[in-house]
Amino acid sequence: MPKISVTIDDKKLDVDVGKTILEICKESGIEILTMCHLKGLTDVGACRLCLVEIEGINKLLSACTTKIAANMIIRTKTEKIKRYQRITSELFFAERNHVCSVCVANGKCDLQKLGYKTEMDHIRYPYLFPECNVDTSHPWYVLDHNRCIMCTRCVRACGEVEGAHNWNVMNRGYQVRVISDFDTPWGESVTCTSCGKCVHACPTGAIWPKAIVQGQLEKKPEIIAELIEKRKMNL
Amino acid sequence: MKTNTLSTDVELAKTDPRIKLITAKIKKENYKPDALIEILHTAQNAYGYLPMSVLKFITKALHLPPSRVYSTVTFYHFFSLKSKGEHTCLVCTGTACYVKGAQLILNEIEKQFALKPGQVTADNKLGVSVARCIGACGLAPAVVLDEEVHAKVSAEEIVNSINAKIAV
Ligand code: SF4
Ligand code: FES
Ligand code: FES
Repeated sequence: MPKISVTIDDKKLDVDVGKTILEICKESGIEILTMCHLKGLTDVGACRLCLVEIEGINKLLSACTTKIAANMIIRTKTEKIKRYQRITSELFFAERNHVCSVCVANGKCDLQKLGYKTEMDHIRYPYLFPECNVDTSHPWYVLDHNRCIMCTRCVRACGEVEGAHNWNVMNRGYQVRVISDFDTPWGESVTCTSCGKCVHACPTGAIWPKAIVQGQLEKKPEIIAELIEKRKMNL
Repeated sequence: MKTNTLSTDVELAKTDPRIKLITAKIKKENYKPDALIEILHTAQNAYGYLPMSVLKFITKALHLPPSRVYSTVTFYHFFSLKSKGEHTCLVCTGTACYVKGAQLILNEIEKQFALKPGQVTADNKLGVSVARCIGACGLAPAVVLDEEVHAKVSAEEIVNSINAKIAV
């Protein structure tokens, strides 16, 4: 594969063309915060956490959706980026009703980890306290909208990997919600195959299996990419 | 147990003449899933809103995931899932109905209820809309009052029928 040279955080690197900035950073051991990215799924740039600064471009670009190009000078840990990441993290918490102490994902939640990483000690924005449903209609799984951050990883895992297209997103702006079918209760969906991929894809405690208690959630988001690899091998 | 909720509603929809308008549009678009928005426009114009039975009909015809259709409908403010007005009156203004006096009907409705096509009364009792040919030309002029087709109606008859509806 042809190589190009780029500079990331003052380090000169020779990297493959055709990859995203995020992929390159991961391969080179440069940490980038992400939430909506999940290996194996199409990147959509929804969470705005992976923003990087590129010299000569006066706005921040999302590393997961921006392809690397020759001679790019990229910075991933400037004060500006840190400030934005902290704001984004606070907005996630202010937008829904996240109560870690009673959550199944407590201690294992990507959103909680993000809070620590961005050193979020308090939230400067008014909480929206939206009224959110908890859909318990599925025999095995629960969808708790209070804990959803609208990363759409479940939507993509369901559509791209399982091919069931049970999930999608309705409305717009702060009223967006994940839906199954026609905003049908999950248990009455005609498309859901109960495969459980969304449970593993979800980075928070928004989707979880019924048979667990507080703090006991074990998720394996890496199964999505593993599954795709295994399917390739079988071809 | 899961039941396929899509099929039963499709049967229901067959008795509604406005479905023909939508079917014609779907055929014209060659059943292309990409034409979803255009087809939803046709449906919204025919009904004044998008009833669930119609959404299910379109979903099935285009072989789309229900969640994709619902996502599209709720994204655009143009589309509405709720009926505008408790009672809806759709006056066909297609060529046949126009020739047979659709405009007279609309004039009379405007005179009696102070409603132009696309409007709803202040108490939300009655909404009036128009569509280009609902596929019932032999019955011209045709008016669809709620789910019933009124064939070869005069302006006076339809006003009486509307009054009877909104009285209850
Ligand atoms: S339910 Fe989970 S995976 Fe789906 S959008 Fe919400 S946070 Fe993301
Ligand atoms: S990970 Fe790139 S925008 Fe979410
Ligand atoms: S013109 Fe009215 S039904 Fe065809």
